[in-house]
Amino acid sequence: MSINYVGTDHIPGQRRTLGKSIILISSVLLALFFLIQFLYKSDSITFGFDNWRPILYMYLIWSVALCYGLLLIKGERGQRVLFVLPAFLFTIAMVIFPLIFSVYISLHDWNLSAFEGQKFSGLDNFKALLGDEYYWNSMLNMVYYLLAILVEYAIAFGLALLLNAQIVARKFFRVAFLLPLMLSPVAVSWMIGKSLMEYRFGPAATLARQLGWETPAFFSTTEIARISMMILDAWTFIPFMMIMLLAGLQALSKEVNEAAKIDGATGWQHFWKITFPLMLPVSITTTVIRIIFKLKMADIVINVTSGGPGGATDTVTSFIFREYRDRSNVGYGTMMAVVYLIIIIILMTLLLKLLNRWMQKVT
Amino acid sequence: MVMSKKKKINRRQFVKKASTAVAGAGVIAAGSGTGLSLLSNSASAAGHDVRKDILKIPGVGKGSPTDSDWQKVGAMCLGPTKSRVSKGEFKGVELTFMGLNNQNLHNFLFRGFLKPWEKYTGAKIKWIDLAQADYNARLQQSIATGTVDFDILEMGAPFEGDVCGKGLASEMPGWVKDQIDMDDYVGYLKAPVGTWDGKTYRISIDGDCHNFNYRADYFKDSGLASAWVAEGHKGMWGVPRTWQQVQEVSKFLKGKKDPTFGGDAYGYLDPCKGWGGFGFYFLASRATAYAKHPDDPAWLFDADTMKPRVNNPAWVRAIQDVIDVLPSQPPNQLNADPGTTAFQQFLAGTGSMVSWWGDVGSMSKTSDGSVVGDVVGFDILPGSDDVYNSKTGRWDTLSSGPNFAPNMAYIGWGVYVMARVDGNSKKRKAAWSAAAHIGGKDISLWASAYPSGFQPYRNSHFNIDEWVGAGYDKAFIKSYLESEANSYNHPNAAIEPRIPGIFQYYSVAEDELSKIFAGKHSAQSGADNIAAAWEKLTDQIGRKKQLQLYRASLGLS
Repeated sequence: MSINYVGTDHIPGQRRTLGKSIILISSVLLALFFLIQFLYKSDSITFGFDNWRPILYMYLIWSVALCYGLLLIKGERGQRVLFVLPAFLFTIAMVIFPLIFSVYISLHDWNLSAFEGQKFSGLDNFKALLGDEYYWNSMLNMVYYLLAILVEYAIAFGLALLLNAQIVARKFFRVAFLLPLMLSPVAVSWMIGKSLMEYRFGPAATLARQLGWETPAFFSTTEIARISMMILDAWTFIPFMMIMLLAGLQALSKEVNEAAKIDGATGWQHFWKITFPLMLPVSITTTVIRIIFKLKMADIVINVTSGGPGGATDTVTSFIFREYRDRSNVGYGTMMAVVYLIIIIILMTLLLKLLNRWMQKVT
Repeated sequence: MVMSKKKKINRRQFVKKASTAVAGAGVIAAGSGTGLSLLSNSASAAGHDVRKDILKIPGVGKGSPTDSDWQKVGAMCLGPTKSRVSKGEFKGVELTFMGLNNQNLHNFLFRGFLKPWEKYTGAKIKWIDLAQADYNARLQQSIATGTVDFDILEMGAPFEGDVCGKGLASEMPGWVKDQIDMDDYVGYLKAPVGTWDGKTYRISIDGDCHNFNYRADYFKDSGLASAWVAEGHKGMWGVPRTWQQVQEVSKFLKGKKDPTFGGDAYGYLDPCKGWGGFGFYFLASRATAYAKHPDDPAWLFDADTMKPRVNNPAWVRAIQDVIDVLPSQPPNQLNADPGTTAFQQFLAGTGSMVSWWGDVGSMSKTSDGSVVGDVVGFDILPGSDDVYNSKTGRWDTLSSGPNFAPNMAYIGWGVYVMARVDGNSKKRKAAWSAAAHIGGKDISLWASAYPSGFQPYRNSHFNIDEWVGAGYDKAFIKSYLESEANSYNHPNAAIEPRIPGIFQYYSVAEDELSKIFAGKHSAQSGADNIAAAWEKLTDQIGRKKQLQLYRASLGLS
């Protein structure tokens, strides 16, 4: 069996020239349209489009021309490129460009109510952010929330072990434990945060009263409110961690377990020396995904406490939400989001590298 | 037990009781309260039948009105349109109307009201429905990006700075003023509200103010009265008239029992949690009596410099009042927003005093969630024994007695026509005709009396006979309407500044207040932080223009 390599030799020069011309002309047109619009919007010239929509259309035309041009130039190899190129161009339009545009916006002083519209302000927003106690308070809260993942992990592991064992109604419990994950966080906010935990008639408050807490109020002090919020979020997402860990447990080799039993390992030794190390890759994947979920935590906070009392439950995302929605502070809000994204990327990269090294040592 | 019994009072039963009461009374007297004496008999003889007839649709206590009811009302109120527009005159005109869809009201009503108008005039209306939470962002984006894609806009007066101040609205033609009878508006809704630089832009469809809602049973209770005397408090036990008394009563009630429902008694209910900027209104309601001097129209910013007054002694005193009384409030008060204080606490039987918009009054007897319908009373916001004079920096004691300054919070919804219709005279007339139809004198009476999202806002709305005729209990409606009318017409009413980005100021303040109430800052340092943030915001939006618009909103040159 042989693989046929299709070169470009058989493509007529005229066709290749046509392809190159299409790409060149469309590229020049795109650049020209963009330049005209940019100059028009920056008041350097007097003609241009009312909005940027024609540039988007031009980008679409250029994308089609690029694909077609490559097809003409490269023939069958061009067809292979077409499997990837449209997705790449789409990613540029939908991910890379918005990201670059976000950075551009974050360098502007842009309040939607401002009479002068947006003004370039360089790193002013960044400097303001460095001194913004609300931002760093919510960042500190995120550290607390992230630490809570350790507890969530322990509970999820315990539940996964339980559901992996031969218990009665195992299938029922698997579905039942998954239910919180299926609920929208907004529904959780209302059902749990505002109903079950309602301080007068809520069942949780009634139970707390019976247990001796005279005036149960789950969101009245900074510490209690933060813990309540952690519990609400954990209740929603522990099932996610549990199901991931359960899948890992079910994939473990039964022979190893049986060999440990024959060697007389106790239950604790079996868990700590065999199950836990074997589950490390799954545990790490689960925890990393959970960290990413946690970093985006906002909806429960917005609905139940609005970040209070006194910013005790605020998350970075819920604070950014207020800055955008309630204060129309687009430039500063975007700077906060960009900085948060950079911090997340750096932290996650470091975390994954450290975990990778640790895993190599362990295994 | 009592609570569950009370809870079952529904709208239908209420009307039965009201009817019995009215029959027993025999005579329906004309408004006799201080605020109402001037307001009766405002319906014209010619309009009287229409007003009487529309109030029977569907009839108070006969269930919530439906789309067919709204259409009927819209058709019956078409007279003023027909006198100015010939049939089919707007054929081919298409208008876009942007408004709210709160509780399936607002735009839903307007659709029904305007269907007969569309049929008669030949115009078509497209609708943009927005949730309250999305409204501000949508409007701000349209303004900032120059994409005003609507011809008629339902908007609150606080946004006038953003819209009228930026030349986006169409000036009201003279014939519209005649059609809607603008002279009938209550005092505070007249110019400068709805105007910019002397031009009129707004058709009011709502009036907003905070009034004082209290539990009459608390203040009639002999046990509490005896305890009040026994504990050595000054004066007789009764409904507080000043914030000083509100504070004293709230602290006194800690540890006592609710005279009707038996649970823990509480005094005033402060919302300590933010509410998208709207929570700030409630601190303002506490502060106006301290901060709004009768000799000075300004109370939130200095009218000469735009310097915030939120950290002056008056505002700090109001903040300190909240801090002082928090230990006497329900345990979870730090997480209570205004929705909680009104609907989950006061109407549900927790607490004895709350400031709110007219919704508390209009729902206390008609909502299934309310248990206080038979024990609720209304008044204007409490006053203060002294008032801060920003010009002298001293506290003044007025010879006339306590200083009252009702908070005209939000100044109500209005309908605005956008400037983009000005280039087409036919479209312009059509847009203003549609707006005038839903802001008409008779249709607005119906909207005030039935679930609509709108409070009474015209002098003619305060004719008690019309409400009683529709099925309302006289004593109740008199108390409610008096609290509204006396607030609207108060000579020292605190009018909200209509400047761009006003909710941004409020939102920033809410965050800082949350910290103060959680004990992270003192009242003064927290207020200083708010002031600093407001200064920054004013600079960001544009101080010079902001000051100019602020002065215009106060009616200063």
